[in-house]
Parts: sequence; C-alpha cells; structure tokens
Amino acid sequence: MSGETLRFDAVRDGDRLPELAIPLTATLIVGGAIVSRDFTPVHHERAAAQAQGMSDVFMNILTTNGLVGRYVTDWAGRDAVLQRVAIKLGAPNLPGDTMTFSGRVVARDETERAVDVEITGANAWGHHVTGTVRVRLP
Amino acid sequence: MSNSEELERALARYVGAEIGPPAVGPDLVNAPMVRHWCEILGDANPVYTDPDVAARSVHGGLVAPPTMLQVWTMAGVALAGGGGPAADLQQELHALLSEHGYTSVVATNCEQVYDRYLRPDDRVTATTVIEAISPEKTTGLGTGRFIDTRTTYRDAKGERVAWMTFRVLKFKPAQPAQAASPAAAPAKPRRLRPLRSHDNDWWWQGVARGDLLIQRCAECGTLRHPPRPMCGACQSLRWDSVAASGRGVVYSHVVMHHPPIPGYGFPLAVALVELEEGTRIVSNVVGCAPDAVRIGMPVQLEMQDVDEELRLPLFRPVSGAAEEAR
Amino acid sequence: MTRTLRDAAAIAGIGQTEFSKSSGRSELQLACEAVKSALDDAGLSPRDVDGMTTFTLDTTDEIEVARAVGIGDLRFFSRTPHGGGAAIGVMHQAAMAVATGSAEVVVVYRALNGRSGQRYSQGVASDVVTSDLIHWSWYLPYGLLTPASWVAMFTQRYLHETGTTSEDLARVAISTRRHAVNNPNAFFHGRPLTMDEHQSSRMIVAPLHLYDCCQETDGGCACIVTTPERARDLRRGGVLIRAVAQAAGAEQEVMTSFYRPSLTRVPEMEVVAKQVYAMSGLGPRDLDAAVIYDAFTPIVLWQLEAFGLCKWGEAKDFVRDGGLDLGGRLPANTHGGQLSEAYIHGMNGVNEGVRLVRGTSLNQPARNDHVLVTAGVGVPTSAMILGKM
Repeated sequence: MSGETLRFDAVRDGDRLPELAIPLTATLIVGGAIVSRDFTPVHHERAAAQAQGMSDVFMNILTTNGLVGRYVTDWAGRDAVLQRVAIKLGAPNLPGDTMTFSGRVVARDETERAVDVEITGANAWGHHVTGTVRVRLP
Repeated sequence: MSNSEELERALARYVGAEIGPPAVGPDLVNAPMVRHWCEILGDANPVYTDPDVAARSVHGGLVAPPTMLQVWTMAGVALAGGGGPAADLQQELHALLSEHGYTSVVATNCEQVYDRYLRPDDRVTATTVIEAISPEKTTGLGTGRFIDTRTTYRDAKGERVAWMTFRVLKFKPAQPAQAASPAAAPAKPRRLRPLRSHDNDWWWQGVARGDLLIQRCAECGTLRHPPRPMCGACQSLRWDSVAASGRGVVYSHVVMHHPPIPGYGFPLAVALVELEEGTRIVSNVVGCAPDAVRIGMPVQLEMQDVDEELRLPLFRPVSGAAEEAR
Repeated sequence: MTRTLRDAAAIAGIGQTEFSKSSGRSELQLACEAVKSALDDAGLSPRDVDGMTTFTLDTTDEIEVARAVGIGDLRFFSRTPHGGGAAIGVMHQAAMAVATGSAEVVVVYRALNGRSGQRYSQGVASDVVTSDLIHWSWYLPYGLLTPASWVAMFTQRYLHETGTTSEDLARVAISTRRHAVNNPNAFFHGRPLTMDEHQSSRMIVAPLHLYDCCQETDGGCACIVTTPERARDLRRGGVLIRAVAQAAGAEQEVMTSFYRPSLTRVPEMEVVAKQVYAMSGLGPRDLDAAVIYDAFTPIVLWQLEAFGLCKWGEAKDFVRDGGLDLGGRLPANTHGGQLSEAYIHGMNGVNEGVRLVRGTSLNQPARNDHVLVTAGVGVPTSAMILGKM
C-alpha cells in the first residue's frame, strides 16, 4: 500500500479502484480460518468440506471480510477509516482459484468526508462477494 | 394442528430473543493476534502493526483491523466439536430446523458498522439477538429459511464499539443434479466444450494443429463460416479449406457482465471479427481491457490453450490499437 | 362456405439419398442432399422455396437446411410431433400452407442416421447431437451464452452505424414503463422509470443495461381462434385477424445471424411486414397502435424500421418524438410490454392486442381500427394485424 492517504476532495463519484488479484491458496484459506479462530472443520479439513458437497476446503466469511477491508484501505491509504462493511456472499472461494477484486466509488458524503465504494470479488465460478464499504477520508 | 403450524409457532418463540448470556472475549485485543491476521491476509497497513507509524496516524496509536471484529469472541476449537447439546438458543434453533429437514446452512450476508477501531487491551463483549426468521423461500441452493441475527459489541466500559447483522440460509439441499454450484465438480470450472460432428470436427482439428481454417467451396470457391456441408451459392457438396491469415478487424463486440458464468472470467469481451478473407467469426478479444475494444479495431489471431483440453482461436489487438481506439 | 384441401396442392418433385447402415455424414448433410435432389427433380432452384416442414424429432432445424442449401426467405415452417405419425402430418401441413397462400413451394424433409447415430431401438438417448447444438458450439467456448449477449452484438453495431445512443434505448423502456404504471397486473405497476435509473442500472452485457432487458416471469396466456361467423355469435364478438404471417430470412440463424452483409436490419421481419401489409391491404400509415415484441429495448427500434414506420436509422427520432406514447404516432406496448408487464414469450402481447381492438386496454388510445402485434426478433418470426369485425 502507498504511504499517502487519498484526500476526500480528490475522490470523484465513479472513480474506479485498481483491480487486486488474490491467489486462493490452501495456505490462505486454512490460515485465514485459523487466525480468525474459526475452527469449523469445512475450512481446514478437506473430508469435512467434501461431506458438504464441496470439492475442497473453502474460505470462511471472516477472511472474506478481512480481504474486503484490505482491498479498500490498500487503495485509500493508511489514514482511511473504515466505517461500514456490508457484504453478500456468492460462489465459494476454493484452493487453486484466483479472486479478483474490482471496485467503484458510488457515493460521497460531504459532511462526513466519507465515500461509499461498491466492491466485487470474482473468482472462476462467478461473484464470491459483492458489497459496499464506507470509508472516511482526510 | 398441522406439523408446519407447529413449526411456525415454535420458530416464533425464538424471534426477538437473546441467544444467551453475553459472549466475553477470552483474550484482550492484542498485537500478536493482529499480526498473525495481517500476515496471512497480506494486509500491510502499518497502523495495525507498526507502533511508530500508528502513533503519527489518524488513530494516534496501534489499532486492530476493524474487520477482525468477530475474531475477539469466536468460540475457537470448540467449533470443531459438533454434536453435543446446544450451547445457546441459536444452536438450538439450528437443531430444530435441521430436524425439520433444513439440514444445511450457508452464510449469505454480513454487515458491520464500526463506532471506533479497537485498540490493544480492549476487552470485547458480544450480545446477539435473533431478529427474524423468514417464511420458507425457494433459492438456487434449495428451499430454506433466512435467519437474521444482530450482534452488539461493547468494550469494558459497556460502550458500544460496533454492531453486526448476519444472515444465514438454513435450507433443504436441492437435488444434486440441479445444484448449480461447485459441489462435486472440479475445483476450477472450465469453458463449455464445443460439440463435435461430421460438419465441424475437421475445423477443430485444424485449431488443434494451430490453424484457423475457412471452408471453401471446391466448385465455385465461395468461402463460408460457420462451416456447413453444402454450398449455399452453387449447392456443391465438394469443399476444401484455406488457412486464414489471422488478420481481421472487430465488426461488433459486447462485454459480458451478468450473470457471471463459471469458467470464463468476467467481465468478458466477445467480438465478431471480420477476417481479411471476408468471413466473420465470434471469439474473445484478449490482451486489452474488455471496455477498450472498439468497432474497426485491427486484431490478430492468437491460438490459446485455455485449459488442458481446449485450444481456442482468440484475437489480440495489434500493438497500439487499444490505445488508439481510446 | 366450407373450405377443404381437395385439389388444393400437388407434389412436384421427390428426392432421396442412398440408404445404408452407416452414412458417414451428418444428418444435416443427408437433409441437404435429399432436398437438393427433390428440387432438381422438380426443376426448381433453392430460391424458389418459401416453406419448409419436418418432424419435431428431426435433429436438423429447418433454417439450418435452408442456410446450407441456399434457400432464401421463408414464409412458412412447421413441425409435426409423434414420431412416424408425422409422416403424412407433414404433407398435411404443406398442403394447408399452399392452399392458403401461406407459401407457394414447400419442402418436406426428414433425415436421420437411424442406425449409426441415435438408434430408436436403444431407447431414449440424452446425447443426440442436433444441428442446433452444433450451431451453439460456435459460441459456447467464447462465453456468448445469453440472449442479452446475442442481441447486444447486433446492438453495438446498430448504435455505431446509426448514431443511436443508450439514452434512446432508455426512452423505449421509459415509454413502456409509463404504461405499466397504470396496469395492476404489471410487475412494475406504480413504479415509473427515470433516465437516471436506466443509465445507472447495472450492465448486463454492454451496451445493454438491466432495464434494456425484459423480465423473467411465471405465468400463462391463451386465446381462442375461431371463424368470424362463429365469433359473431359469441359473448364478446370477435377481433378479426386481418393478416398473419411468419418468416425466416436468408442466412438465418437462431439469434446469431452474424454473417449477413448487414447486422442492422432484421430481414425476416421485413418479409413478415411485406406479407401482412399485402394480405390486409393496409400500410404503415393505417396502423393505430401496436404491441411490438420487446424482449430487449433495441429490437423495438429495428421493428419500427422493418415495418416501415420510419426510415432505417431513424427509429431513435420516432421514439424521441414520443412516437410510442399514448397520443403519439403509434401508441405501443400499452400493457407495459415484456419489459414492464411480464415476459410470457409474447403471448401477453397477443392478449393486449385483442384488448386494444376491443377498446378495453388500461391505456386505451383514441384510435384502434388496426393493431399490429409482432413476435420475437433475431429468430424465425411472425406478426399479425388485428382489426374490428
């Protein structure tokens, strides 16, 4: 991430965020589950995931939330303050795939100096996550 | 009273209820857990891990990533246990729905709103209320009921630091045949294969050899694509083929956005390319942003193995064309 | 007056391929050879053919055979179900077409690899390679898989050649929505559409936005067709079918006729228009209202041009001038269309056409002597003109 934080006045409605591709390794999926203290077996044991009809372990929602937050602050900079993260989940994230984030500024709140960013994380199956993140800028 | 009425009445009792006593985070918010999180997620924001930079930041000191909110009160290894008696009302509700055939569960929505970022040594307590249970809905996964919960997070002083709504679908899985999901499928979906028959197999064999072929009437010389067994101009059944030069221009094009079809990578640029020989072919344009494709853009054939089994003739803007079109 | 098919049709030529246990070629090719052979026998050229009929079980589409053999515009095509029971059924279809003037030269065909391909003796098969699947195979690997994507390919070119814009497409959707607002049966009852909402709605397949696309609906529609004499005695009287016609154009594909010289015309609809005008003795100027098939907004523009309501490339001006609105030149889709009422594959439009002539539309225009109702665009298609008894 860059050192500079975006200024609210420099952000326009419709601005696009640079895309970010996240390789979906088993390390990320299992590690993400463990650092979020989510020991539900489907996130770290393949047999448990397969018993639910999935081909392999799949990413937990806390990791997804974390990656969404990271995507927006990577773009906005370190002094950007996340205020709200609202997401909808779709296709699961499985090892061997790649999730590519894209995003767009869809609203600006002059009084709060906050912007709403619409984000999509797409993998080979479709949309893993879509949502809106509200971030306050200096 | 019918079974379903009985279930409705039983479910109604859960709506509005707190699932149990507040969950108290077993650890204070702490730097090691934050560092582990940032390391695995690749989050390099120094306000989470570098005390000096954090001190000069808008936060005035180290903070935890706000999206770690749920981590602080997670049950941990206990989640791997399964079975056993329900520990709270939420588990009891899930068990009740499982008994009625809604055996699977999937999280569908999550909203978190942060009053402030958490800091090292914060003690987090979470209170969860079951807000709503929907009537039975039909979804792509199967019929089920959405359960909405709302969790309020407070610090040691009892001040609210954040709240979260969470929606899960508790459902009866659809028949495996109609499940449009990665269930029991290869980890990575692939493009749909073309079907082969007498009338197109030779063309795909050409592609396998690296040639983009155009069918030519052996009587009157008319070129035709897509291939077909008879010449529409002279009705001859005799034909051969010529290899295309691979040069062409975009005659028309689209960008596929919705619905995202597994195996392709959306947004996806599809173009109708007019080859210099005069026939047209539908293909993908690669090597430039999908929205940079323009009518009239010169393109060049590029044979690509899109997976282990499928080779496709694709097209790439000739160098500089994408910039010029903009 | 009683009409029968007595002496109304004749067989002018016959043709066939060799019969074998393994033809070594596709059913499409067998069909082409048989058709060519019959045409030669009759001394006719492919361009003389204007009707085709076969079995529903045939794996080869009429328009695939037409394209391959070089048959031009079609005015009649039909299929008969029930296996071998269709064999004289197809002759019946052809005779009716000829007797009624729906077509002049009808090709009847059937071709199958019944031993080397799908053997009916082996029971029901799930992996029959039909000409239709081979057709789609030119698009499947590239992801061009949805109706919106096929229509978008034509749309991009149309916008490019005519200077029509996405805002012009929006005007079609907005006009139609205005009608749905008054229709309690419409999905979008009471919910008008603004230009802003249209333009900011998500892209489905660029250049088509969400509100350029019709809905997906569960529902059914039906109507009763009888003789004018019988209708006169019935409770509601009758709405007269002044003319009805179908057509497939030369070089037709199902939704993907990308290989014709122009992508910005719908030749099959032009053939339909010519027929319904000739049959009814009416012209574009006689039309008072219309139900124009609107699975997507741009196809409404192309039909305005095909039916001669404006010149090529000028449909955008027709719409900008409020031509589709109540009080406009041709009030259209007064039920809200498939964009805003419901998508019942055009049959809800048939019912609205009847209401328009009866004078009972929820958005009833003042004049209603002649009402045009059209069917799908980009495929072999059809239309009718309704009028008063």
